[in-house]
Amino acid sequence: MVLARDEWLDLARKLDWTYAYVTEAEVFPEVVAGRPWLPHAAWQGFREPYRTTYADYVTNQHGKELAVHAVRAAVGKIEDFQRLDPQWLSAVKLHAATLPLAEFAAVIGNLRAARFGRDSAWRTTALFGALDELRHTQIPLLLMHELVRWDRQFDWTHRFYHSNDWVAIAARHLMDELLLASDPIEFAIATNFVFETGFTNLQFVGLSALARGVGDRMFETMVKSIQTDEARHAQIGPAVLATVVAHDKAYAQRLVDKWFWRQWHLFAVVTGFAMDYLTPVAHRKTSFKEFMTEWVLDQFARSLAELGLERPWYWDEFVASIDCYHHMVYAAAYSYRATVWFDLALPGPDDRAWLRDKYPATWDELDPIWTRITERWRTGGPDLEWYVHGTTPVGFCSLCQLVLCGGTPAHNTARVVDHAGRRYIFCSEPCAWIFAQDPGRYGAHKDVIRRILDGEAPANLLELLRTYFGLQPESWGKDVARGRYGWLERP
Amino acid sequence: MIPLYGFVAGDALGVVVLMQDHETVADLALRLQHAAAVRVAPRPRVSVVAHGVTLDRDATIKGAGLVALDRVDVVPEAP
Repeated sequence: MVLARDEWLDLARKLDWTYAYVTEAEVFPEVVAGRPWLPHAAWQGFREPYRTTYADYVTNQHGKELAVHAVRAAVGKIEDFQRLDPQWLSAVKLHAATLPLAEFAAVIGNLRAARFGRDSAWRTTALFGALDELRHTQIPLLLMHELVRWDRQFDWTHRFYHSNDWVAIAARHLMDELLLASDPIEFAIATNFVFETGFTNLQFVGLSALARGVGDRMFETMVKSIQTDEARHAQIGPAVLATVVAHDKAYAQRLVDKWFWRQWHLFAVVTGFAMDYLTPVAHRKTSFKEFMTEWVLDQFARSLAELGLERPWYWDEFVASIDCYHHMVYAAAYSYRATVWFDLALPGPDDRAWLRDKYPATWDELDPIWTRITERWRTGGPDLEWYVHGTTPVGFCSLCQLVLCGGTPAHNTARVVDHAGRRYIFCSEPCAWIFAQDPGRYGAHKDVIRRILDGEAPANLLELLRTYFGLQPESWGKDVARGRYGWLERP
Repeated sequence: MIPLYGFVAGDALGVVVLMQDHETVADLALRLQHAAAVRVAPRPRVSVVAHGVTLDRDATIKGAGLVALDRVDVVPEAP
């Protein structure tokens, strides 16, 4: 007699047993399994809302793979991408580079949880999560590989995390700790709860809508397909966090506070650029701020409250930064665009009117920067990229490794701190706080400036780009229109 | 050479400039304004502030007490 699924599933997913030859602490040592170390009795209430079997998982994933391949066959060729707006393609290049190898690192994080997670249902769900992340690695690599022979910037889909480009250093600094170095408890809270529930699950919904708006059915299908996986394995997060809150609430709060800020900066760059600058203005749905307010602020704050946690202590600073941070980083990246692997768009009058409407509290401070940059293009003329490009080295935060763009143009919040005989600079108070919580973990890492000062990286910008960041003239970022905008009147 | 983090009021980011001991605070202001010129038009009259104190523009970098990786701010002077 064959049992029905629901008759055997609980037995399969809850397959824990009492150890006879070793202790539980030896099977799950705290150094690997994470803290707080609790006996299994404390974890056995783990319930994942969406239970699945391996057979169901394979069937569902196979269906999703077929859908992605069908769309790829229909609209995933070079000529399909060549029809898209180059501005949007820059958003694709940015996203494609930061996504797949981070997902591959998440395979390892999930597999650690699949072995050392403290309940068998958690371990099973994490195993599915590992398989998900493997897929999320492979899909963008497959889709973008086709495009490399047309546009070398797509090569950064694979190259990015292997490079010493400043964005890659920042992304690696985050992803290595988040996905490779975290124990399963910290991984569940940092990745499954904060990153996936708080940020990326909803980001994928927003990005797929944008992709649809610009006519990029391939990218839309890819992120939708990935998002459905994320929604499933993200459920590990609240289940683990609830147990940690019950036994060590202060630690739970500290992890949430740390990881929300750690992830916010890179998220603001990747998503903020796409939503407010790299999607052609006619196709923008909502501003990054509106997206953050609706999907992250409200929902994440509600999730925290349901778990009995407070908003992070820096919440006011975080809310203020939604109005400014990604704008400042975009202006920095635009004026140092040869240091990245995608092209950037100069905001024109329509863009700036839209941004003023969406960011009334801060745009007056930001707009003069674009007035100045526009004047430089007018003076120099099209194709004179380096006349509208910075040459002086840029400062980087010792924690997040991103450019020093905290605060506002009138009041940059960067702060120098001396610790153990060495100088550090932090772009914000939360970055300084995270460092101070665990200087032994972060203190030895060198930002780009420290590498230059120590002779490990060249100080000359062109040498830095070519020999250290791994960029070449054909691949480094330029103005997406090479300064040839219809609205840009010549004198 | 003394590397300094510089922030020009109105700019989007901080930059790093290398100064010699004997160069002046006025030289520093000039170099930072030049570094930010792509984004912020240079102003005719500016002050340099470090550790909350406005520096004497004729003082040398060393004389002003600046050391490696200090933060300095270039702010417009009131008209």
